Amino acid sequence: MKRFWTYVFIALILAGLVSIGLFAGRFVVYLSMRVLILSIFALGYNLLLGRTGLLSFGHAAFYAGGAYGLGLISIHVTTNPLLGIIVGVGLACIMALVIGFFCVRHTEIYFAMLTLAFGMMVFSLIWNLREVTGGDDGLVGIVRAPISLGFASIPITKTSHYYFFVLFCFILTVALIYLIRRSPFGLVLSGIRENDRRIEFAGLSVRNYRLAAFVISGTFAGLAGALGALLESNANPFSAHWSHSAEPILVSLIGGIQTFTGPVVGSVVFILLREIIERFTQNWMLWFGLILLIIIMGLRGGVVGGVAQLFRRKRSHVAKSGGNR
Amino acid sequence: MLESIVHVCLAGLSTGMFIWLVASGLTLIFGVLGVLNFAHGSFYMLGAYFCYTLLGLMGDNFWLGLLLGPLCVCVVGFVVERYFLRYVYPLALPYQLLLTFAFVLLFDDLVKVVWGAGSIGSPTLPGLSGSIPILGRNFPVYSLFIIGVGPLVAIGMWALLEKTWWGRIIRAASSDREMASAIGVRVPALFTAVFIFGTWLGAMGGGLAVPYVGLLTPGMGESIIIDAFVVAVIGGLGSLKGAFLGALIIGLLSSFGTRFIPTFDMFLTFILMAAVLLWRPQGLFGEAA
Amino acid sequence: MEKKGITRRDFMKASVLTAGAAALGPGVLKPTGVWAATPKIKGPIKVGYQAIMSGALAGYGEFHKMGAVMAMEEINAAGGIAGAKLEIEFRDSTLKAPEAIKNARYFVDSWGADFLAGVDSSGQALALAPVMKELDRILMVTHAATEKLTEEQVYKKGIKQVFRICTPTYQDGNAAAFVAKDLPAKTWATISPKYEYGYTCWEMFKNTLGKLKPDAKFVAESWAPFGTTDFRPHINTIMDANPEGFYSTEWAGELITFVKQAKQAGMFDKIKHVLFPVGAAMDVLEGLGNEMPDNIWMSGRYFFQYPDTHINNDWVARFHKRWNHYPAYVSETGYSTMYAFKKAVEAAGSKETSKVIDALAGMMLVSPAGYRNFRKEDHQAMYDVPWGLTKSDPKYPFKVMGKQVVIPAKECFNRPPFEGPETMPPF
Repeated sequence: MKRFWTYVFIALILAGLVSIGLFAGRFVVYLSMRVLILSIFALGYNLLLGRTGLLSFGHAAFYAGGAYGLGLISIHVTTNPLLGIIVGVGLACIMALVIGFFCVRHTEIYFAMLTLAFGMMVFSLIWNLREVTGGDDGLVGIVRAPISLGFASIPITKTSHYYFFVLFCFILTVALIYLIRRSPFGLVLSGIRENDRRIEFAGLSVRNYRLAAFVISGTFAGLAGALGALLESNANPFSAHWSHSAEPILVSLIGGIQTFTGPVVGSVVFILLREIIERFTQNWMLWFGLILLIIIMGLRGGVVGGVAQLFRRKRSHVAKSGGNR
Repeated sequence: MLESIVHVCLAGLSTGMFIWLVASGLTLIFGVLGVLNFAHGSFYMLGAYFCYTLLGLMGDNFWLGLLLGPLCVCVVGFVVERYFLRYVYPLALPYQLLLTFAFVLLFDDLVKVVWGAGSIGSPTLPGLSGSIPILGRNFPVYSLFIIGVGPLVAIGMWALLEKTWWGRIIRAASSDREMASAIGVRVPALFTAVFIFGTWLGAMGGGLAVPYVGLLTPGMGESIIIDAFVVAVIGGLGSLKGAFLGALIIGLLSSFGTRFIPTFDMFLTFILMAAVLLWRPQGLFGEAA
Repeated sequence: MEKKGITRRDFMKASVLTAGAAALGPGVLKPTGVWAATPKIKGPIKVGYQAIMSGALAGYGEFHKMGAVMAMEEINAAGGIAGAKLEIEFRDSTLKAPEAIKNARYFVDSWGADFLAGVDSSGQALALAPVMKELDRILMVTHAATEKLTEEQVYKKGIKQVFRICTPTYQDGNAAAFVAKDLPAKTWATISPKYEYGYTCWEMFKNTLGKLKPDAKFVAESWAPFGTTDFRPHINTIMDANPEGFYSTEWAGELITFVKQAKQAGMFDKIKHVLFPVGAAMDVLEGLGNEMPDNIWMSGRYFFQYPDTHINNDWVARFHKRWNHYPAYVSETGYSTMYAFKKAVEAAGSKETSKVIDALAGMMLVSPAGYRNFRKEDHQAMYDVPWGLTKSDPKYPFKVMGKQVVIPAKECFNRPPFEGPETMPPF
């Protein structure tokens, strides 16, 4: 019975997402794409934070890796986005492997500081390699050419067309992350968070598992970066800055790091909230900071955790009163 | 050439000591409370703005402003610790960082609302803006003053922590909270006190920045906080001695780098930071655990 | 020191006025003038304006706003644009490209803007160009200076929706070289921002001065990263090179910090010929007050003492009365942008993008900064901005321009087709 309602819920959400692409205005479609891309970024990120408990301050570097990988291919080699995305995601994956190799030696604050240092190295490389990256101007002139698959070609030039491509990538990400979390690999990851000693005793290399989680999350960051670059038709150096790394953390915490849907809900809340605040004040940072305080102090389990708790309390309340009768 | 090297050295020393003044409070708070405080940069900014305002109210008496301004920020620090931070100590690291990050956003915009969006050039202060010739080239008196204040603060903190009863309790509480509370130390109150002291150090750094940087802007804390992080890491997180020496290294590195390596960049300091974390996570001068 | 920025009360006043006007509508605000008889354009004319309003450069956003809001009040009091009311909405651009794009899309697709204006950073302007083509709305750039915007995006790629009302890097690089050629300095050095703007201007300065004065030598360069608060190591580099002339495109707060620290180090005593291409900005002059040394060459995108015409002097007086500030260059460009839209819409008789583009291209605008001509090929406004030597004046609490030199835009701006040495000055 419960499973049935879950399917109905998923179907409703999917129908909603598709109808946004079909019927919504251009700005709503654009904003939805930003939510979806941030969701991909955060879903991947939370595989690391939520499952292994490692707090990375350098994932913006992989996002930028995806964006610049796609941008360079698009400008110098071919405008076919598929190759660009593959190269971008591949670049992010390799960067995550190299950086992760060093970073997973530590945990806690040392890990956070190490990822911060590597992330800022990437930022300063992008800023200074002007001939390749365009310096602070970024890579300009990335075009959304049709995706050609050889036998067919899918146009994504129009915002509404591109939306469905982003939606496809989003669903793919959700499915993959879901499968990873459910797999034996995913279970080991949460085992590491609970008690890494025990995993070590079971004969598994904790470090390798952490590295794997790091690389997977970095790869999804790269996918988000490539999609983002196509959406905005440029890649900019600030996408590698540590303050951009704070975004998936923020979003995961807002939604709830221990839940699967948390990062997605967090992305919706984050982008909508900021959009709403900006409609009535230019001091958006002030209001955003205040609301963030309330969320951290009030909803420890994030929005999703909080709502779930509310439901549970209600249900137990109902059950109790029913029992009395 | 000699005059050049001496001046590059002096500039590096003053840069380093300036960063140390801000990093000292950050390190102290991390060492005792275990919290890496993003909002420390905001306390620095608030210190500068309060100091500037008091300066205007009291007829350009910089020293009085420097004395009272950071005390005002201590009230802010108290509120932050007592009513917010205290409740997230038991939570995971991301919550603590995010809470302090929220305060950064908040304070940046509050400063804009209260003091105006424009940057404020600090007023000329008699006696502080002069310079004296060293080897035929002028060096600012105030930079010499900063070079002198840095070690004084370091000695003061050392004496406080090593030689006083209060310092012994702080050291006890930072190495074992439960044991400290078992023998009757009121740990929460102690943490509040240490946080306020750390806030005062950061705010004083901000007050001293008014003549040193010469400019107040909303968001001025964001550039210094990363420098302070780097310094705290290189010195070994939580180690005051390490942070002092780390600040000297970063100051001299950036001064000599800017002068003698045309392509010098923050890149090198981050490589140093990563290298220290990888090979000596206890810091360059810490002892292996 | 007085508080800077638009005070809350000023804003309340402005918003109450706007809200009141909006509520009462055309019933009360009767159109006057030529358009009273047959208002052709329906509904208000909406301009979406984005500028930096948070962080260290937030002061620029305030100055942008002052100019644009003042133009809006004046235009609406005089009957609006072709009988239609002018509305402006402001948003914080945060200096990041994705935010700029989001703002532009919000303005056009959600709020219903007819025109866009503002933009401080070059990266943002370049990123916005293709978006403007997609949205098919005109963007008037009021601050971003990169020559790539007009040369590559507008001229070569044919994005006709983008215009620029402020002077580009030509004023900071080429015009500076014309000033430098007459100075008795042969060796030059720079401390400039470590990003595209700084690199480009120094490159232009070197090229043009090299052609104007072949024996000029460039002996040292030191690049200061974005957000530098300590220029002392950079100053040491310059002092060691011991140049006769010094050039710096540092701007805003960083220029204030730099001047203070360079003064302490005695740099201005040793180097007599100093050029600050963006020194004549009100935030810098007000921020430095008397600490700005005398006899420094400075320029900007506009300076309130030039031109000495009735229109300009009158405007400066009105501006000072309204905001208790002298207009910064972004105030002038923001103000004139609204009048450029007004003139173009009224000439086109429509607010349709393609018609207004045709009206704007090649249009001559009378503005406080003087006659502005939007060059047909690259949509760059051609107008003259003075270079001047700093001096004290008891009338002002900051340094102003004494001796002035004007390098006509025609002589120092690069020319289409922007390829080859003959398209760059001297001609």
